[in-house]
Amino acid sequence: MSSSAIDAEAPDLVCQLDNVQGMVDALSAVRWKRQQDAVIELSEHGIVLIVEESGCLQGKVYLKRELFMQYEYTAQGRPRFGVSLGLFVDCLNTFSVPGHSSLIEIRYPGPDMELLLKSVDSPDASIYAEIRTKIPDTISWDYNFEPAGSTPLSFTVKSAALKEAIDDLEWPGSSIQIKLQPDPPSVTFKGEGHGDLQIDLMYYVNTDLLIAFNCDHEVSYRYKYKFLRATTSNIPSSAIKENRGSKLTIGRGGMLKVQHLVSVARSSAPHPHIDSAGYQQPSRIAFVEFFVKPEEDEDTVND
Amino acid sequence: MKFKAFLTENGVNLLERRFLPALDKMGKICHLFLTRDHAFFLHNLLSGDGIQCIAQFHKETLFDDYRISSQNEDRIAFAIDISILQRAVRSSVSICSEFGGGGSTANRLQIKLVKKLPPNCTQPMPFLTFETKGYKSAVIQDIPISKPLSRAQVLELQTALDMAQDLPQTLVQVPDLNQLQNYIDRMKHVGDLLNVFISKYGDLHVQVATTLIRLGTEFRKLPVIGEQAVAPSDEQHLSAQSRSERAVLRGDAQSVQVSVKHFSKSLQCHLAKPDCAFYGILPQSACLTVIFQFFVPGTRQTDKSISLHCRLPVINPG
Repeated sequence: MSSSAIDAEAPDLVCQLDNVQGMVDALSAVRWKRQQDAVIELSEHGIVLIVEESGCLQGKVYLKRELFMQYEYTAQGRPRFGVSLGLFVDCLNTFSVPGHSSLIEIRYPGPDMELLLKSVDSPDASIYAEIRTKIPDTISWDYNFEPAGSTPLSFTVKSAALKEAIDDLEWPGSSIQIKLQPDPPSVTFKGEGHGDLQIDLMYYVNTDLLIAFNCDHEVSYRYKYKFLRATTSNIPSSAIKENRGSKLTIGRGGMLKVQHLVSVARSSAPHPHIDSAGYQQPSRIAFVEFFVKPEEDEDTVND
Repeated sequence: MKFKAFLTENGVNLLERRFLPALDKMGKICHLFLTRDHAFFLHNLLSGDGIQCIAQFHKETLFDDYRISSQNEDRIAFAIDISILQRAVRSSVSICSEFGGGGSTANRLQIKLVKKLPPNCTQPMPFLTFETKGYKSAVIQDIPISKPLSRAQVLELQTALDMAQDLPQTLVQVPDLNQLQNYIDRMKHVGDLLNVFISKYGDLHVQVATTLIRLGTEFRKLPVIGEQAVAPSDEQHLSAQSRSERAVLRGDAQSVQVSVKHFSKSLQCHLAKPDCAFYGILPQSACLTVIFQFFVPGTRQTDKSISLHCRLPVINPG
């Protein structure tokens, strides 16, 4: 590795990543529409990408420094900049052409405050990108998530099952009630709109479905369907294939937190260093989080 | 005006499995231009815009017992729908294969130009007819075609064809068409226009540049045909962008802007399974040319009986 920066001004961040597809998967998970502005925050711990919609929904992707082959961070404070999420993902996709190892270097800032990407593994066939960054919008609403009480109200469900349930609720649409109750321990999704649809997930009955459940008193909140939908619409196929779980927690005031795990392990090509069991190192996981605000007036079901 | 010939087995294979799938991607309608010695499939030669694609076969590559006559120096041209032609060839193949492995399939697939009166019509219409003799059945397929081109139109087509034979001074060989196609297909999402730089050093650099992003792929040290030069050794550390710009200033490289869609289409020609592909820019940035090379099977010698090249209109000269 010969990457000691000799430039007059050292960039805030130079990092290298060997699994671009994993990063594409993780970032795509928070891509719920075509045009989305994202804010990227750099720190010594890693990269966080934040997207937000109408003060009610926030998506965050945490790419910890452990995911990177190399992570050189020299900035003071935490630099933040805005990019178009769609452009960033489409651009990263170009680096993950199948059948080729895709070691890329990410650097910020460039001479004109760009985010710079380049492939570093083959000097005679290189890809590069310079993405213009924007001054980030201030985030309109602070998504401080606080636990609702002493016992967290949470459950963990297979990502595939969660996605399926929320997809099915499209039919009633508009507003979805999520109810947790301790006796019998269960989670209920209920949609009332063009019709009624109720999906019950019972703890103990099917341990494959509901993996964990924490609840000491009944609680119920309504969320806009389109925001719930956004939290699962782009769960990467890798998370489903690897049979991962998603954790949902209800915090103070009904704020819903949805967490997915996305593998950013080395590309699937057989690798001599993978341990015998074939498990990936647990550190090579990107965390994707959504915060959804509940609907304020419980009586209105209008969209 | 008469045309009649038998498609050879090799001809059927070339058309069905390789050329027609590739040509279909270039555009639905093309001109089939038949002369005493050659058959040409021509896309967009008369229309002026869009990607031009020229596939040329020596008559013996495709046909047996090739008979053509017309009052215009035995030249016939008409427009035909590639996808219908492809379907006709495909079903002919399945009928021929009824014979199984035993018998020879020679002279069983005849094509000819006919005029017929279709049902519910008062005017006879021109067709290209496929006559296939199977073991138990004979099948006739009529492919509707345009009225044969007039003498003046054929002359216009011939002139356009002659003009489309110009060669760029420098051609660089693309390392891997599939890989390039993968890149371009992904770059398509980012912008509509592609800057293409080609240098005498063997660099091929393609780039999408918009106000928000610059995304590019640079291939270096590619084999060069035609004018070559040695790359300056002190520019290795520069970015692809500045290297290309300097090479253009020195006169060692050319650049043009083309439509990403056209570029992607030109790469679809890999369906014809060429052995190599070369990109070059014509003088005065007239167009971006891609030439596909076919080897005589089992050798590294160019098969001169087949040729395929595309010309991409330039949107902005570099």
